[in-house]
Amino acid sequence: MAEYKRPQSLKPMATPYCPGCLHALATRLVADVIDELQQSQNAINVVSVGCSALNLYTWKGDVIGAAHGRAPAVATGIKRCLPDRLVFTYQGDGDLAAIGLAEIMSAANRGENFTVIFANNQTYGMTGGQMAPTTLIGQKSTTTPFGRDPMTTGYPLKMCELMAVLEAPVFVARYALNSPKGVMDAKKGIRKAFELQMAGKGFTFIELLTNCPTNWGMGPIDTLEYMNTNTIPYFKPGIYKDKESEA
Amino acid sequence: MEKKFMKGCEAIAEAAVRGGCRFFAGYPITPQNEIPEYLSWRLPQVGGAFVQGESEVASINMVYGAAATGKRALTSSSGPGISLKAEGISYLASAQLPAVIVNISRGGPGLGSIQPAQSDYLQATKALGHGGFRAMVFAPATLQEAVDLTYNAWEYAERYRNPVMILMDGCLGAIMEEVEFPEMKELTADNVKEWCLDRIDGREDDHMITPILPEPLLEKLNIGKGMQYKMWEKLDTKVEEFMLEDAEYVVVAYGIAARVAKEAVLRLREEGCKIGMVRPITLYPFPKASLNNLDYTKVKGVIDIEMTIPAQMREDIELQVKDRCPVYEYGRSGGMLLDDDGVYEAIAKIVKGGE
Amino acid sequence: MKQSFVFSGSGGQGIMSAGITLAQTAIAMQKHSTFLPEYGPEQRGGSAKCTVIISDAEIISPLPKKCDTLIAMNELAYAKFIGDVKEGGTVVVNSSRVKTTARDDVKTISVPVDDVALELGNVKVANTVLIGVLIGATGIISKDVVIAALSKKFKEKSPAIMELNIAAIEKGIELGSKA
Repeated sequence: MAEYKRPQSLKPMATPYCPGCLHALATRLVADVIDELQQSQNAINVVSVGCSALNLYTWKGDVIGAAHGRAPAVATGIKRCLPDRLVFTYQGDGDLAAIGLAEIMSAANRGENFTVIFANNQTYGMTGGQMAPTTLIGQKSTTTPFGRDPMTTGYPLKMCELMAVLEAPVFVARYALNSPKGVMDAKKGIRKAFELQMAGKGFTFIELLTNCPTNWGMGPIDTLEYMNTNTIPYFKPGIYKDKESEA
Repeated sequence: MEKKFMKGCEAIAEAAVRGGCRFFAGYPITPQNEIPEYLSWRLPQVGGAFVQGESEVASINMVYGAAATGKRALTSSSGPGISLKAEGISYLASAQLPAVIVNISRGGPGLGSIQPAQSDYLQATKALGHGGFRAMVFAPATLQEAVDLTYNAWEYAERYRNPVMILMDGCLGAIMEEVEFPEMKELTADNVKEWCLDRIDGREDDHMITPILPEPLLEKLNIGKGMQYKMWEKLDTKVEEFMLEDAEYVVVAYGIAARVAKEAVLRLREEGCKIGMVRPITLYPFPKASLNNLDYTKVKGVIDIEMTIPAQMREDIELQVKDRCPVYEYGRSGGMLLDDDGVYEAIAKIVKGGE
Repeated sequence: MKQSFVFSGSGGQGIMSAGITLAQTAIAMQKHSTFLPEYGPEQRGGSAKCTVIISDAEIISPLPKKCDTLIAMNELAYAKFIGDVKEGGTVVVNSSRVKTTARDDVKTISVPVDDVALELGNVKVANTVLIGVLIGATGIISKDVVIAALSKKFKEKSPAIMELNIAAIEKGIELGSKA
């Protein structure tokens, strides 16, 4: 039976995330896979701005902080110079789907050989819960106090669906981290993405649906249920593109 | 040494490659397109990488990533694009990453004009981005000087772990002149930086490159940077002083303006005027001493010639002249070029008219 | 001695190419030279202008207000730049397109270079004829050096193009020295 212990790729310290935040689990899954692939010395974690920036302090291994939304551009520069390293960005939804939309779409479209881990919690956690590009219709935030109204703010952006229409990406998938099965599937997906990168296949994109108990204003257990009834029906988990299997 | 008749932008690009540049990212904008065009085929020849970014913003951040690996990275643009790069340049300064940024400047503000102008002095020397940092700014006046400064730009960038800017106007970007190229720098494993993301040296410890720091460390970083700027002033200021010994009037000009002004100075000398010139080669650090130490019992006026209106270097000049004599300015702007007669007449009016 | 030349016309007339050839030839003759193109937003058809300076000494300013010699390949360019020629300067006009001249304090050399080029077989060599005229009229650069430069430039394209250009320069020199 496997021993449950702290991944080598994380520093021996408590996570700085709020209690019940699935960011911590997402980070842990990435670290676990990197350990399993024995890549902890070879990986470079490109951290973005938002709660994901907290990775800077907990990640054990090479890490670089990128400007808000620019992680895919930074990763492009790194990977082009060090093609043998396992390079991944870890980005939230505000970072990736709002301010960094040009960088993510363009890096994906160029088929850059790195992996994007996209934690989608439908809010700007770090700045106190403003509306994110992924905030659900009707969902309250500090800038949509009466709930998100599509007439003035549009609709939540479905990044996997957008990625999937591009020619270059090789693997695009979304997982929900609010159930054991979702967590197990996510780990498999992350592993697959990293293996494809190591084989030089090209751009891989993993979206992880997460929560934000603090800014959603709910207990952690309630957020998991909210995800079942609200998030998952809109952001459907699944594999959106798998070029290798299709081939 | 081979001499080549070459366009300014291409000469800079070749000098960069010879200076060890192995990564370029940039976005099309006139008048600097020949830099990316040249590097798109030249860099792969030497095992380097070229990326046409989706924007100036993305390009400077690609450079940020590349610089973090320890490779010599470059981006180029013109005024409007440099504004977009401001964010990334500030991050380079904060994360202490060396990189070189070329600005082939044009008329501003706004989209301005695609024609040459020296409109970005203030941006380059005072605020290349938010947060109050400085970068060395080299302002060549000839293509040979552009080649030499670009070739060595990474030495400064790496020594101080800070971005370096090469500031040239559209005239020098487009002009063709003869240049002599130095040999290709061979960068060995010894050049791998002890702070970078590369593990080619076999290190086992982890590296963190960060543009964000806890407050006490950020303060410490900034104190260190402040000390560094003072050091640059002492060690790295570059200036050409021309015919100053007996000068009663001193022209101050850089880049293309300095060439036009020098022609005027020579003409006025022939006519018997006691006139000289200070040509800053580094705009930052500004050659303060050259102006501060003038003999103001003799000097009757300092004349700032720039291809921009209003003059932008004037404040730096005035800080050194300290009201010891009048400061005059003459320029053209918006993409209208300075010319020999115009500059001569403007200076002659001051010198001869005693204005 | 420092001399400045302004080549002007429209995009596609080989203005830049002629200017570069003049500058390169001067350099091959151990002189100093700068070539400054005026760039515009148009890639084709717009106006084209470049300034070439040739000097025995190092060139300080590449931005003269007035030029010693103006080469105008069309009416528009002539009208735009004729005022920029020094008194006593030289103006070479493509009389295939420039029908009226405006100044009598300059030496005007009119050669229908378009027609000459057409007779030679291709209007595209009009700019080479022009350089020939310039050499014939001013002697600023040597015939042998420019032929060597053109041979080098066109050798890879085809022997026919090379020969056409050499014929063009020779015809130009002949017409220029008569002027």
